Amino acid sequence: MPDSISRIASASDGSLPPGTGPGTGPGAGDRFELESGEKIVASCRFDLDANLRFADGSIVLTDRRLVADPPASADGEPASAGGLRSWRLDPTTSIDVHLRSAVGRIELSQQGRVVARWLFTPARAKGVHALEDAFDARGHGQPVPPSDADVDADADETPKPAAPAGGKSLSEDEPGPPGGMGASWRALARVLSFARPHASMATLGIFLTLASTAAALVPPYLTMPLVDRVLIPKQAGEPIPFSQVLWYLSGLALAAILAWLLSWARSWTLAWVSERIAAGLRVKTYAHMQTLSLDFFSGKRTGDLMSRVGSDTDRINIFLSVNLIEFASDVMLVLLTAAVLIWINPWLALVTLAPFPLVVWLVYAVRKGLRRGFARASVAWADMTSVLADTIPGIRVVKAFAQEAREVDRFVAANDRVLDANDRVNVVWAFFGPLVSLFSEIGLLIVWVAGAWMVFSGSVTVGMLTAFLTYISRFYGRIESMIHMVPATQRAATSAQRIFDILDCQPSVAEAARPINPGRVRGRIEISNLHFRYGAREILHGIDLTIEPGEMIGLVGTSGSGKSTLANLVCRFYDPSSGSIKIDGRDLRELSITAYRRNLGCVLQEPFLFFGTIAENIAYGCPTEETVDADELRRRIVAAARAAGAHEFVLAQPLAYDSRVGERGGSLSGGERQRLSIARALLVDPRILVLDEATSAVDAETEAIIQAAIDRLVAGRTTIAIAHRLSTLRRANRLVVLDHGRIVEMGTHDDLLAAEGAYARLYHAQQKAAEEAAAGA
Amino acid sequence: MTTPHQPSSFRPTADGSPAPAQQPMWRLERATHGRLDLIDAVGQRHVDVDVLRAFPASAPAGPVAVVAADGAELAWIDPLSDLDEPLRRLLEQELSQREFLPVIERIESVSDGEPMEWGVVTDRGLRRFTVAHIDDIVYAPDGSVSITDSVGVRYAIPQLSRLDSRSRRLLDRLD
Repeated sequence: MPDSISRIASASDGSLPPGTGPGTGPGAGDRFELESGEKIVASCRFDLDANLRFADGSIVLTDRRLVADPPASADGEPASAGGLRSWRLDPTTSIDVHLRSAVGRIELSQQGRVVARWLFTPARAKGVHALEDAFDARGHGQPVPPSDADVDADADETPKPAAPAGGKSLSEDEPGPPGGMGASWRALARVLSFARPHASMATLGIFLTLASTAAALVPPYLTMPLVDRVLIPKQAGEPIPFSQVLWYLSGLALAAILAWLLSWARSWTLAWVSERIAAGLRVKTYAHMQTLSLDFFSGKRTGDLMSRVGSDTDRINIFLSVNLIEFASDVMLVLLTAAVLIWINPWLALVTLAPFPLVVWLVYAVRKGLRRGFARASVAWADMTSVLADTIPGIRVVKAFAQEAREVDRFVAANDRVLDANDRVNVVWAFFGPLVSLFSEIGLLIVWVAGAWMVFSGSVTVGMLTAFLTYISRFYGRIESMIHMVPATQRAATSAQRIFDILDCQPSVAEAARPINPGRVRGRIEISNLHFRYGAREILHGIDLTIEPGEMIGLVGTSGSGKSTLANLVCRFYDPSSGSIKIDGRDLRELSITAYRRNLGCVLQEPFLFFGTIAENIAYGCPTEETVDADELRRRIVAAARAAGAHEFVLAQPLAYDSRVGERGGSLSGGERQRLSIARALLVDPRILVLDEATSAVDAETEAIIQAAIDRLVAGRTTIAIAHRLSTLRRANRLVVLDHGRIVEMGTHDDLLAAEGAYARLYHAQQKAAEEAAAGA
Repeated sequence: MTTPHQPSSFRPTADGSPAPAQQPMWRLERATHGRLDLIDAVGQRHVDVDVLRAFPASAPAGPVAVVAADGAELAWIDPLSDLDEPLRRLLEQELSQREFLPVIERIESVSDGEPMEWGVVTDRGLRRFTVAHIDDIVYAPDGSVSITDSVGVRYAIPQLSRLDSRSRRLLDRLD
């Protein structure tokens, strides 16, 4: 079946002349050929048959026909009819797509009768909707390119309920590298690519590692002649050759000092490089995160993201500056030692190194067991941090409901999982470490036995044996420390993978290839045939709305009617699925995102104040490139605060404008924080203003103060205001009533009341509620 | 920018227009018990007004506000140096009483953890105080440090590098 689809898709360029298309033979029921001049408009796939069993099928829409294979997955007809069927499009033809649950339905109707029905899961929703859109657009005379995402890439079709169009998702609960050691090394190799700016220092570090390792090998070598030519002859009664002794001893001292100096320089150099790699990673990850669209953040836990930027980069730093250096020098030492041993005496070397392959195999075997353990441990750790990140910001809710004990229990449970995961790793680990010690003891024993025998037989001197014993004890010591590399590598690779998961995420709201700087816009907003889909659900179904510069529009509707979505689209936090938003006649997607947002002011339901002074918070959106001297900026801050009705309560703070406010506004009330955020919006002097439930979190009295501030803010700016309380929208030039993603009414307050439609019902319901509340009070 | 809304009782200067030596339409009077009263343009007396700097830390020479006891703004002076001499002296006198800012000359001790117990020698004598949180110690880019204790009193270290080495070590340990 994928075969036939790929052929269908290959025909979509329209270059195939009729009759030469693939599979025109009589038996080829699953292929079709295009008529002369016929063009493929769109295609999609469905994945269920009439009995709700998974079965692949495809539908192709041309400018003349709808072709399906198999003909229908549910139509009363047996699905086994086989082959493909096509329907001529006529003016009565319509395609309806219903997707309410896990099973969606495509219905083809002609002459008012359903002629075919296909079923699909949300995994196919994107393609199906694209076909539906293409079908609808066809009537408007707009050819829509086939959605190639659906035709060629099956793997992209995994259901991701939280991810709308675009935006590769981030595996949150599976930080372990799935691809095993190969993937680990790939991730770490990618980390090393961050060393490129510091290549000369890195090279120096590698050279120093080699040199310091070599220097460390000299002292045992010098003990050999010391024993053979000085100590043993002395025992045999010969005089001590003092000049030679002095020579050997100073050689030993010199080698030790050299090794110390070199390894000092090595550690410093490589630590310098790895600090910079980690710092680069941190900045790159954070900067990339800032470019990602809102949908990335809505699906993530703050604690998880924080630990990726913070502790994961630090873990990589420690790995590079400590573990990797040690490992590299260990490997060099092992290789150089082996070379020296073979050079001194190949036979004794052979015996000495015999247990080595066994140790290597052991390391390999244990590593596999540890890998899974470490991945599990790091998931458990992330869960535990998430509990903290959840609870601490929500501490008031916890206390209000007296759930402290439950939260502690939750933490204990997460902590127990960490304990359990670590215990499992430790079982393997505890067994493994001593085992390697045992091997090194056995290795030493072998050298003693074989060496002593060789000394007796005269093929090896006592000095050589001494040197061998010194070398071999270092050799196994190194192997033991190399094994510590295993968990360190695993952890670092896991961390690297978690960081690259973020770096590989593409922003779903992408900057245009050649972004246009709109400068200061006039603020005319044209919304035409705007559709927006979040996952499989369509939230906006064709919105048409033109807002004149300086006009204030009030968006009204029940929760879930699409008000906030529309506002988010105007802010370009998301891109529309189809249709367009034009600012001063230019498609929003052609504009530079940051340059456009400089024209934009937002006041949201929950005002966010950053840690800093009140003055800094008001000046937050002030373009930094704008050269404003400090006095002028202060004047503007005060003017904005005055206009926002914030000036007097700011003066009442201990340090007036220099008072510090915390993460969530510290000692300020909700209404005060909201007024600061209005001042912030005023200071940037936006052309387009979005007010998303700006007053719904405050009491009625505060609302009146804020409303006055908002009225000043709105003056002369294109404004989109969303409010549950209709009274807040009294200044709006027009009210737009949304219902289930469609505009149902539009007009002034009086017009809409007179029309006695949805708005009037909403208004009267609120009036009644307000009266009842007043009567009750 | 919209024109800032201002109390009508005084001549606005906050829009940045160059103002000559100000002849405000209000005047201040020193009343009994050192209390300060403001008589505004229409002759109304506001008793026990408060004089404060809008940016005490970032622009100590910057704008000054006179606010009524209920927090309402009565006058805005930007900058103070524009005022004529007697009025300016009166305001500065009032501000100096308000701006109690002991300068830390030596740190004797700082306890571990939070809250921190500090023992210091200031230009106004020995003092022990409590700092609730590390964020209450603010390092400015110009090398000065400002410390706010748990009851809201501020202490200043004008230049960190001029502090003796033992005091600096005690501060360093906190980060």
